[in-house]
Amino acid sequence: MLPMPLIVPLGDRGLLVRFAETLDDEANSAAVSFARTLQATPPSGVVEVVPNLVSVLVRYDPARIGFAELRGEMQLQLLAGAGAALPGKPVQPIAVRYGGEDGPDLEEVAGASGLGADDFVARHSGADLRVLAIGFAPGFAYCGFHGDLPPLPRRGAVRPMVPAGTVLYAAGQTALTATPIPTGWHVIGRTDFINFHAGAEPPLSLVAGDSVRFMVS
Amino acid sequence: MTALARIRILRAAPLTTIQDAGRFGRLGSGIAASGPMDVFGWQSAGGGASGIEFTRAGLEFELMRGPLTVHVGGGRFHLRVNGDRLGWPARVGLVAGDRVGITPGRVGLYGYVRFSGEIDVPHVLGSRSTNTIAGLGGLEGRTLRAGDQLDILAGDTVAAPQPQPDSATDAPFRFLWGLHADLFGEAERRDFVSKTFHVSQRLDRMGVRLEDREGVFSAAQHLSLVSESVVPGDVQILGDGTPIILMRDHQPTGGYPRIATLLTPEINRFAQMRPGAALRFVPVSLKNAST
Repeated sequence: MLPMPLIVPLGDRGLLVRFAETLDDEANSAAVSFARTLQATPPSGVVEVVPNLVSVLVRYDPARIGFAELRGEMQLQLLAGAGAALPGKPVQPIAVRYGGEDGPDLEEVAGASGLGADDFVARHSGADLRVLAIGFAPGFAYCGFHGDLPPLPRRGAVRPMVPAGTVLYAAGQTALTATPIPTGWHVIGRTDFINFHAGAEPPLSLVAGDSVRFMVS
Repeated sequence: MTALARIRILRAAPLTTIQDAGRFGRLGSGIAASGPMDVFGWQSAGGGASGIEFTRAGLEFELMRGPLTVHVGGGRFHLRVNGDRLGWPARVGLVAGDRVGITPGRVGLYGYVRFSGEIDVPHVLGSRSTNTIAGLGGLEGRTLRAGDQLDILAGDTVAAPQPQPDSATDAPFRFLWGLHADLFGEAERRDFVSKTFHVSQRLDRMGVRLEDREGVFSAAQHLSLVSESVVPGDVQILGDGTPIILMRDHQPTGGYPRIATLLTPEINRFAQMRPGAALRFVPVSLKNAST
């Protein structure tokens, strides 16, 4: 059972509902489902609802609602148990080319996890994971949690640019790039699944709360 | 639709982009709203819903096909049409062959050219704004350069120019304490509001790094935070103690501690500060934010 979330201002037009200070499964689920409830029935004056890993940004129009009133509204919704369950979309399979040129850090990551590359890939693929959040860049999807793999810190050095479709691993999570970005995460593979298409509406295939399963390509 | 007019860019300062009011509502897809760095400057020009944002070194273009009314504003630049000096901001009727030259003036980093019509580039996710970090919108998702030609289409609305607040004031920048203000020591919070900072050379549409000459954050601990949404005006302290104020093309989320968030109107005035300019900060309460 989580404590009552903290509600704090983020500037003069935003409010953050924070379910935990650190990343955990329960807080992430709570944040994502609360955001979905607000998105389905946004309170008057709310202009945007954005789920984060363990918090929800609520942007509002101060000409229509003030911080104090909106905070009260959020508290009521939280007390009413808003966001109890996530409606399930089918699990999105994601075929990954692990290792080699596509995943130059795979051997090192497996070694640091005390596993051979094949064992690491077997554990990394096959399990259903949740999209924990979209952030950092367009369509960039944090997926977790890899319960049967040890959490591993990021690399010491940042790669200046990796292409869209790169499969990244760090901190017990896998992230998928949807645009070229610099990254300090370990590069373990590539996929043809790109979670961002600027010409599509909606532009993302996966959003926070959806389920994915990695498969060996 | 037939183009009303066409312009050709003869000279463009670095980071010149096409903007409109912004691409709002896409943070959940990982996309900041973009839009004019100085909304007040944008509004002082008036004109159609889309326009060109140019930077300190200015802009030069010619009208290839016309006539066309252009609206300019933002900062204090020098305007010449066919060599004749005009005022700033201004609204000028042009005919084919006219050349517009904009050069740096007394103050300002960003200026705007808008038209009595819309720039013919596609709407991407509901907006024509260029997002320089994501490479979206505007002309092929990129900054403008000499040789680019833009068609101007008939638009639905042309906004009247708005009076521009004085952006040259040296009043301290009003802010609300940030998401992570309580993670900073009392001395750091006190010094943040009593010491002077300077705008560094490292600035773009994503963010403006400050020089912390007095070492307010030199002993800042590198904290590992769960990343959360960023908003324009957030004052983030990087791992090496450098303060950076996040601007219109900010990353959608950030994991560095944020000590403050500028009030929304202050972001516009801050955007116009040139490298080397000194600035101070003053906290306000949300009740008195009057935005």
